[in-house]
Amino acid sequence: MFCTTNSPEQRRWVRSCWTSAALVAPLVLGACAAFRLYHLHGFAAYGVAVLPTLPILWVLVELGRFLAVEKDEFQRNLLVQCVLGGTGGTLATTTIWGYLEDFAHAPHLDLVYVYPIFWLFVLVSYPLVRLRYK
Amino acid sequence: MNACIGSPAQYRFQDRFLFFIVPLFVLDGILDIWGFHYHHLHPAGALAVLCAAVQSSPIIGFIVIIGLYLAEEKDEFQKSILVQSMLWAIGVTLAVTTFCGSMEKYSQGPRVDIASVQFLFFLVYIVAIAANRWRYR
Repeated sequence: MFCTTNSPEQRRWVRSCWTSAALVAPLVLGACAAFRLYHLHGFAAYGVAVLPTLPILWVLVELGRFLAVEKDEFQRNLLVQCVLGGTGGTLATTTIWGYLEDFAHAPHLDLVYVYPIFWLFVLVSYPLVRLRYK
Repeated sequence: MNACIGSPAQYRFQDRFLFFIVPLFVLDGILDIWGFHYHHLHPAGALAVLCAAVQSSPIIGFIVIIGLYLAEEKDEFQKSILVQSMLWAIGVTLAVTTFCGSMEKYSQGPRVDIASVQFLFFLVYIVAIAANRWRYR
């Protein structure tokens, strides 16, 4: 997102995003393998299911931290608008899809896809928001 | 809505909410109760898509008026409270949906309707707004 930036805060934020994305995949695969191999139940199942959410929480904490420490008002405002776009897009998509499941028997959309949908909309919003300030 | 409204942007936000979002919620309620529960309507094809769009219109509208409010509000403090609350709401929503999704995927939890994501978001958003206001009172 901020490929051309020299700001240390932005670099830290981008690094967190990539690290979190890199961590989610093995954690999801690990949790999946644990459930398949050990047929987990009870507290163990809850513990393992929590693991893939940890990088998600971390990146959101980093997002909050970035917004708190970033000095550049313009960059902060850009990110807030992108997050708003991501939130709006996610809520609209999940709501429309949920009702389509009820009315038109659309296939069930797993809740795990909400997170990728959110970042997809954030990414789509970014060039659109930037375009406004050209 | 309350007696301590400050800026013109807040007045406009509340006007938009009252005259745009509330009627959409009422329309949703009518469609839900009268249409789907009383008359057991089963729309298909384009009508189903239209019904789904109508049902999600208050959410889209709400996000739009929040965007307009953020653009119009001059008070940085009020803006920051709103942004913090939205971040908390989307953060908790994403964490809970990923957790529930994982549990559902591994057949450990009940199947959750994806349309309930909006209710979770707004629940956390309201709690976060109240908590932030309490923090800075």
